[in-house]
Amino acid sequence: MNIAGYKIKLEKKSSFSGLEAAVLSILAVVVALFLVGFIFLQAGVDPAKGYAEIFSYAFINSFGVPLTLNRAIFLLLCTFAFILPMRAGLWNIGMAGQLYAGALAAFGVAFAFGARTNPDVPAGIVLPLMILAAMAGGGLMGLIPGLLKGKFNTNEIVVTMMLNFIAFWVTAHMIKEGGPFMGSGGEGEGFKLPASLQPGLFLGMPFTIWFALGLTALLQFVFTKTRIGYEIRAFGASPAAARYAGVDPFKVSVLVFVAGGVIAGLAGYHYFATVPGLFKIPKNYGDFGDLAFYGIICGLISQGNPLASIPLAVLFGGLTSGGRFVQGKLQLGFGIDYAMLGVLMIILVAFQFFFRYRVVFKKEALP
Amino acid sequence: MGVFMTDEIKHGDVILEARGITKRYPGLVANDHVDFEIRAGEIHAVLGENGAGKTTLMSILFGLVRPDEGEIYVFGKKVNFRSPLDAIKLGIGMVHQTRKLVQAHTVLENILLGHPNTGLILDFKKAAEDVARLCDRYEYKLNLNDKVWHLSEGEKQMVEILKALYRGARILIMDEPTSSLAPPETKKLLETIQIMTKDELAIVPFITHKLPVVLSVSQRVTVLRRGKVVARLNTHEATEQLLAREMVGREVMFNLERVQVERGKAVLEVQNLSVYDEKGMKAVEDVSFSVHEGEIFGIAGVSGNGQQPLAEALAGLRKAAEGKVLLDGSEITHLSSMERWKKGIGYIPSEQRAVGSIGDFSLVENILMSYYYDDEFCRRGVIDAKKIRARAEALVAEYGVAAPNVDVLAKNLSGGNLQKLILARVLSRQPRLIIANLPTQGLDVGATEFVQNKLLEAKKAGAAILLISEDLDEVLALSDRIAPMYEGRFMDILPGGEAEREIVGALMAGIRQKAAEQ
Repeated sequence: MNIAGYKIKLEKKSSFSGLEAAVLSILAVVVALFLVGFIFLQAGVDPAKGYAEIFSYAFINSFGVPLTLNRAIFLLLCTFAFILPMRAGLWNIGMAGQLYAGALAAFGVAFAFGARTNPDVPAGIVLPLMILAAMAGGGLMGLIPGLLKGKFNTNEIVVTMMLNFIAFWVTAHMIKEGGPFMGSGGEGEGFKLPASLQPGLFLGMPFTIWFALGLTALLQFVFTKTRIGYEIRAFGASPAAARYAGVDPFKVSVLVFVAGGVIAGLAGYHYFATVPGLFKIPKNYGDFGDLAFYGIICGLISQGNPLASIPLAVLFGGLTSGGRFVQGKLQLGFGIDYAMLGVLMIILVAFQFFFRYRVVFKKEALP
Repeated sequence: MGVFMTDEIKHGDVILEARGITKRYPGLVANDHVDFEIRAGEIHAVLGENGAGKTTLMSILFGLVRPDEGEIYVFGKKVNFRSPLDAIKLGIGMVHQTRKLVQAHTVLENILLGHPNTGLILDFKKAAEDVARLCDRYEYKLNLNDKVWHLSEGEKQMVEILKALYRGARILIMDEPTSSLAPPETKKLLETIQIMTKDELAIVPFITHKLPVVLSVSQRVTVLRRGKVVARLNTHEATEQLLAREMVGREVMFNLERVQVERGKAVLEVQNLSVYDEKGMKAVEDVSFSVHEGEIFGIAGVSGNGQQPLAEALAGLRKAAEGKVLLDGSEITHLSSMERWKKGIGYIPSEQRAVGSIGDFSLVENILMSYYYDDEFCRRGVIDAKKIRARAEALVAEYGVAAPNVDVLAKNLSGGNLQKLILARVLSRQPRLIIANLPTQGLDVGATEFVQNKLLEAKKAGAAILLISEDLDEVLALSDRIAPMYEGRFMDILPGGEAEREIVGALMAGIRQKAAEQ
């Protein structure tokens, strides 16, 4: 392409540094926010004011920050559930199903101990059991695509996506009118956990943040330092070469999907059972499935890097809470928050082009 | 039809001339002021190692790539190819190394496909007559109604040649024309192209190795090295030694030092092994043999006759349908590839980039492919990064892998360097049994020499080596025993020293009677 006597060429980069990736990502966010500014203008709102509202609610406001944090933890767990299979070249689209399964298992434990009607359950036993059950539930849900992939090379995208529907409707069956987990009010919601089973806040944060941070460190370590991490990455980079080198495809498929499912199960526990106000399975449970899919976006943008996923999860967590808030406060049309997230995702993904290519301007030689 | 217009062009006329062709890629000058001419009725070979700029020159002549500098004249007129279509219109044809044919269609349909004169309605009868006349003229027997997948490699290649000629090609560029052919087919091809030159067609084969082929039929040779023309010779003045020296830039030893090693006990024993391929067809049928310490057992054959499934079955990457495999006397028929690595089988696969290495991994992580399962380099599941890095650095230096450091990605290595890396990874584990599947395929003269010497070194050290090769010269030069393989079976097992080229060549083409007569 030629512009004003300059020849514009794309050159393939052989490598890029972490710093470069960070700078590019920040640049992408700026460009995306600039573009979304036009949506604000079109809605008759000063973009500067709109953004000020969003960011102050998401990252400063005393109501907004806990919400942001809560969502960021959830997103981070969903991201990890996605990137474990992703590093092995496999696609987990089933975080929603796995987290429902985890939540159902956790609530099932509470239910078994009679927590639906009896507020005095032995929390010291039930609470840890709920967490373990959530992990087991998610893990079992992940085992299905893992086994099918490893044994029959079934397409894992289709399997995980279909399982989402199954988990969704099983959940619906359990909590709706007449279901065993139905709330006492009969309003089509799940039962409330008694106060003793609500873990409450730890230093002002849900305690599940330690799961999220611990997993960040663990995954970073596993991917970069361990044998199993090497096997997963080798299989992801080239299944044929990995098989040649002795990596067992069955083992890897099962492992990454079970581990991913376990983490998604934790996300389910976090979302449904930890934070006051969200301790029941609420009416609009479909939303959580939506939110889980942001885990895919975070995983793709971070390119499977656990550390890089943290700022992304915080950003998306903040924008979902701030976007919804500003929509109500400034009385914007429905869906502006989603439009903003959509543009942001597309721009972030589009900017990955620059990870691989650099644009070179060259003065065109006169003929 | 244009093909038979011989009166306008006289023998020896310059019909294509390239002047000062230069093509630069980032960090590399692929063609550096290349001058090159083709005359009517000559076979003009272009020689060069991988990376010498052959492919670039070929692509420029065929209009696939545009040069940065330089001019091309065809029949005296200056041309500027924008695409291969322009080149085809001017009578330039190309026969690619990988066949570009529709397998399920007939020969005739393939020849007609994409022909500029075929409108909506095909005149098959007329076309069939024309093509048949071409076949007759060049003394090549081919049933035009056969489906292409029935054909041998040599016949498929002939279909491509006919396709180009039927489109009116006067200059035929051939990329590695003999690389996938069995010896009898190579002979047939060479005969055919010699007949073609009588019609003042120009044949331009681009060749990396197989120097004897060049010497036997071509009239002139142009040698490229690092993008430059380093020699332009009449073939009768050239020798194999001379050409190799020009290509590589140094003296090349052709006579491998045939080390005689005391044959030890059997390392690998294969009994009545049968293996299915991915289509469910029996690709290896009832094969039995053994490979001993200090022995190179060569399997000669054209690719696709079951060598790959056999190698994979021995490496644990493919199930054995019937039969037994023993390593050092104990059965390994059902062991996984990991267990076989640990027991001392080292497999050098034919697909260097897809299987033998991981392009997006660094050299260290590629070396790790053969070390990660070893407790010495991976204690309690945690990889000893320092140790593996030190090993990688040592191996890269020892095997002369040209790379700025061990952190570069494997995909940035050239074919020869990549093969050195793979060899370093596998051989450094000091395997009892080395399975080398087409170890020198696609490598240039220098790298080939290196690989062959490394195999001989391993033999001297007492390893058992199974060498699978399409290159008959290589098998004959290296092997202590030779098994020609055809359609999944060993045709025979011959002692290496006395095996005659013609007999092995005939057997690997499936001709048994002829061998018996001789």
